Amino acid sequence: MKRWRTKREHQIYSSKLFQALCRSRRTSSSTSAKELHQTADRVLAITAKGTTRWSRAILAAPLTAGTNMKKHKKAKVTVHTRSRKPVVNREKKKLPVVERKLKALRRLVPGCRKLSCNNLLEETSDYIAALEMQVRAMTAITEFLARGEAQAPTDRLGSIGNM
Amino acid sequence: MSSRRWRESSRTNMSEEQITQLLSTLRQLLPEIPHSHSHKASSAAKVLKQTCNYIKTLHREVDDLSDRLSQLLATIDADSAEAAIIRSLLT
Repeated sequence: MKRWRTKREHQIYSSKLFQALCRSRRTSSSTSAKELHQTADRVLAITAKGTTRWSRAILAAPLTAGTNMKKHKKAKVTVHTRSRKPVVNREKKKLPVVERKLKALRRLVPGCRKLSCNNLLEETSDYIAALEMQVRAMTAITEFLARGEAQAPTDRLGSIGNM
Repeated sequence: MSSRRWRESSRTNMSEEQITQLLSTLRQLLPEIPHSHSHKASSAAKVLKQTCNYIKTLHREVDDLSDRLSQLLATIDADSAEAAIIRSLLT
């Protein structure tokens, strides 16, 4: 989890991501935001080197064109609810609050729907740290490109190198 | 407190100590939000809810960034500057 905070990891991710984006631009004429997000997630998962469940789940998921990856798992959610019903307290109509929150969390972290609470919290910690790095790296790339656009092409290369 | 809930649900066979430890790990990850009662009074449910919200916030941020990046890439010619950009990202 600590590694997501290192500069090295940040550099590896941002350069890999940028290369992946340039590659996809060469193959298709335009990249939609969804595809870009998907690419960013996949490169993030690769950078994780398969040590976590969420990263393996991202890489195992099929590439969907323009739809949210999580949507095809919707059917499973209802099964989950049904099996939990016997545990409900008589006084409360719904699940205990903590159980509900855990369920929500399971839906947010890739590949963790059937995970035990213990492992889920571990995966969540790593996932959050990785997401934060993803935000930092993508912001850095965006700033570079935006800065480059504001200046003349010949100036751009020189000034970026001075960063 | 939250300990009773854990005992009721036989599904979770973690000790309270483990739960407390993991929750404190999560709490450290969450950004500091000034609450009126943000101290140790945060129940497990509150921490989990904040965690879910935070992950959703991060997802949205990445969505926005993806939007902007896809627009920027479409307008500029990244290929010619690719090597220079990667070099600068790595320093």
